[in-house]
Amino acid sequence: MGDATAGAGAGAAPPYRPYRLLRTVTAHSRAVSCVKFSPPDGRLLASASLDKTIAVLCSSTLATLATLRGHSEGISDIAFSSDASYLASASDDATVRLWVLKNLPNSNPNSNSNSSDEIGDRCVRTLRGHTSYVFCVNFNAQSNLLVSGSFDCTIRMWDVVTGRSVRCIKAHDAPVTALHFVRDASMIVSASHDGSCKVWDAATGSCLKALIEPGKGPAVSFAKFSPNGKFVLVATFDDTLRLCNLANGKSLKVYTGHVNRVYCITSTFSVTNGKYIVSGSEDKCVYIWDLQGKNVLQKLEGHNDTVISVSCHPTQNKIASAGLDNDRTIKIWVQDA
Amino acid sequence: MNVPIIDPLQGDFPEIIEDFLQHGNMKCIAFNCHGTLLAAGCSDGSCIIWDFETRGISRRLRDSATISPITSVCWSKHGHRLLVSATDKSLTLWDVKKCEKIARITLQHTALHARLDPGPVEPTICLACPLSSAPLLVDMSDGSSSVLPVSVSQEGNNYIVAPIPRKFSDGSTPFTPTAATFDRSGELICVGNSKGEILIVGIKTSKVYGIIPVPGGAVIKDIVFCRTGQYVLTNSNDRVIRLFENLLPHNNVINELEIIDSLNNNTNNNVEEYDIVEKLKTTGTKCIKYLREFQDVVTKIQWKTPCFSGDGEWILGASASKGEHKLYIWERLGHLVKILEGPKEAIIDVVWHPERPIVVSVSVTGTAYVWAKDYVENWSAFAPDFKELEENEEYIEREDEFDLNPREDEKEKEEVVDEDAEVDIENIEEASIITISNGLHEELRYLPAVPSPDLSEQQDKYPASPSRLEESNNSASPFDNDVVTNGHASSPMEVAENSLAEEDGGASSKRKRKPSAKGMEMQAEKDKRPATKNQKSSSVSKTSKPRTKYDIDSDQDDEFTDGFVF
Repeated sequence: MGDATAGAGAGAAPPYRPYRLLRTVTAHSRAVSCVKFSPPDGRLLASASLDKTIAVLCSSTLATLATLRGHSEGISDIAFSSDASYLASASDDATVRLWVLKNLPNSNPNSNSNSSDEIGDRCVRTLRGHTSYVFCVNFNAQSNLLVSGSFDCTIRMWDVVTGRSVRCIKAHDAPVTALHFVRDASMIVSASHDGSCKVWDAATGSCLKALIEPGKGPAVSFAKFSPNGKFVLVATFDDTLRLCNLANGKSLKVYTGHVNRVYCITSTFSVTNGKYIVSGSEDKCVYIWDLQGKNVLQKLEGHNDTVISVSCHPTQNKIASAGLDNDRTIKIWVQDA
Repeated sequence: MNVPIIDPLQGDFPEIIEDFLQHGNMKCIAFNCHGTLLAAGCSDGSCIIWDFETRGISRRLRDSATISPITSVCWSKHGHRLLVSATDKSLTLWDVKKCEKIARITLQHTALHARLDPGPVEPTICLACPLSSAPLLVDMSDGSSSVLPVSVSQEGNNYIVAPIPRKFSDGSTPFTPTAATFDRSGELICVGNSKGEILIVGIKTSKVYGIIPVPGGAVIKDIVFCRTGQYVLTNSNDRVIRLFENLLPHNNVINELEIIDSLNNNTNNNVEEYDIVEKLKTTGTKCIKYLREFQDVVTKIQWKTPCFSGDGEWILGASASKGEHKLYIWERLGHLVKILEGPKEAIIDVVWHPERPIVVSVSVTGTAYVWAKDYVENWSAFAPDFKELEENEEYIEREDEFDLNPREDEKEKEEVVDEDAEVDIENIEEASIITISNGLHEELRYLPAVPSPDLSEQQDKYPASPSRLEESNNSASPFDNDVVTNGHASSPMEVAENSLAEEDGGASSKRKRKPSAKGMEMQAEKDKRPATKNQKSSSVSKTSKPRTKYDIDSDQDDEFTDGFVF
């Protein structure tokens, strides 16, 4: 159970209501690498794992609706299209696969095991082009473009309809660890092990800005735009999360207290009830910070290994977290009403 | 939100051919209101909708009844509907989102241009301009049509509706295209006739409100409004493009015209001869004012399809000479700024992107060329601490440049960032772009992307290299970026109502891109793979281990075959 740490520091704002563990799901036989709620309503929860499968669960009952098999290596990242009809997955077999999620069975609680109900292959396309592990993948808002980053240091943009690689940007000098489209899909932010975080123009593929220059600091493990696209949340391998202003690149808020030195841990914004920053950590906890006050509001304990990925439900006060090999579980945390 | 970073010279003009789109034989093109989709009418009667962002085909509108070439395509204001006219005298109205035909009407004559009423969200009224007779207002819902007045003469107070056949001194063809277009509000139509006059006609009443004589008096071939409705262009037979300013308000135009009309009536009360034409011309001067002309004085070429840029700052005229593909760009203030030259193929149609400095021109071969600004790498983006200079500048150092003790005030140069300030991550301020819509109606900007399933099309060209998956076919060349099959039997499922799978097989949707250096390296990598496999895999497990997202066990590397390309 999580314990709430000292004062949220908001006199006028309502007091912080702690999250508690709701359920634990074991849907994989190996480390879970990524967990995501589906936009726009969070009806589905998808998780990807080193065991080369993706489990699609109903987020309310946590019953397994489908298990997507097809990759020949472990999967590092998944992304939903904006209406949750397609799922893209980035894998170590250097491909990105596009899966269709229509006609999923209604959630009758089969079981939490990997029993698949598949008649026929749900994989619609395999996108080949990268020459090394594909590490991160994301759709744009209108879901006609996919962007993927890889250990071959490039960013590739794919046309969803034809599966063609529209653009290949030699983005960095080291593996690309994170990619994210801005809200109106005009820009892409990329983070890399070379310590840089760059912003690219989605239409031309040109570099608009280097938020953090390469070589100046520790490797950047994660980067993401804020919902309104004005700020970028950047995670670096020195146990720090920064909120940077996109226009001038200055870091406005710094969040510390967690441990992040080895793994590319995802973090996210929680905006459903109060504004928080949520992130996993290598000390097996999920950290929740107050966005404005930068203090740690809560540490959610319960995992047995590094919490590698967190995702916030788009409408409910729910957080999903995933743990690595020693843990292999997905935990759902809710805020008491 | 992206305004602060992106170069403020966005409203510029294109310079080189960046790309080309090829599918079938395209005849006419039109952008939707925001330039996200490009509709193209083809010579086989089908209409293709390109997703302009990915430069791929999004939808194909095909009607079995229409197999003759399309003469024009026109979007409705918010992009929900598309009007297509073809040489078999038909007009078809499509619902874009559902890809369904709403109505199809056959006219008496083939319409060269067909325009949808820009007023309502789901228009049914359209303007059809046939080759040799007066323009018609057609109601697509019931097929009724009314002919618009083309000229006003003085016999009695009647409008003559039939066009005046005009014979040229060189005895050339009497067919005179009559140009007509809606204004921005959709309440008026501007008709350009063969006497060189612009008529302002109200839609509901077909009443002529004003006449503006165009200097030169030559036959008007095209008349075009800019997107904001503030300026009008006419293209005349005397090889001159003329610019006019629209003085009428954007809304309630008819009211304004009625007011002007009644004012004129009052002043003419005591005049015995009631000259309609003079009265209309007086009204006309209050509606549209002549500004300037554009022409090529040297070669005196005929123009085709003049158009405005999205913001109305630039004017583009396409050369109508066969055998050359030239686009002239002028500033609205009059100066010629650029002549774009393409491959030696005549131009059939040209459009300017509504928001970006991009022009698409269709040549007689059926290919659409995309012209854009020359891409210049923004080096200062990579090194923000450095300032980019245009030329060498002599640097003069300060008095204390090399002092051992740093200046006091340099320490305070670092902007103090208020770390406790409120940060707003959710609210969005809309940047002001020229918008045609009033934002109340939902626009159709994008069509949902439906991925077409994999096809087994490519053969395995490198049988020596170890396969990635159980069975895999490698891509043929780095030039084509085609997607290959994964060997699984991929059943299409409920994927595509308008699947283009049958077209992917053919090479008809060719994309010409410079082969990326990456692609070359990939090719080289595949050849090298068997030799370097062991060496690379060990580097994967050891050096990369602390940096990867999860543990890579060494036994996993046995299946990993790709090397790194750094």
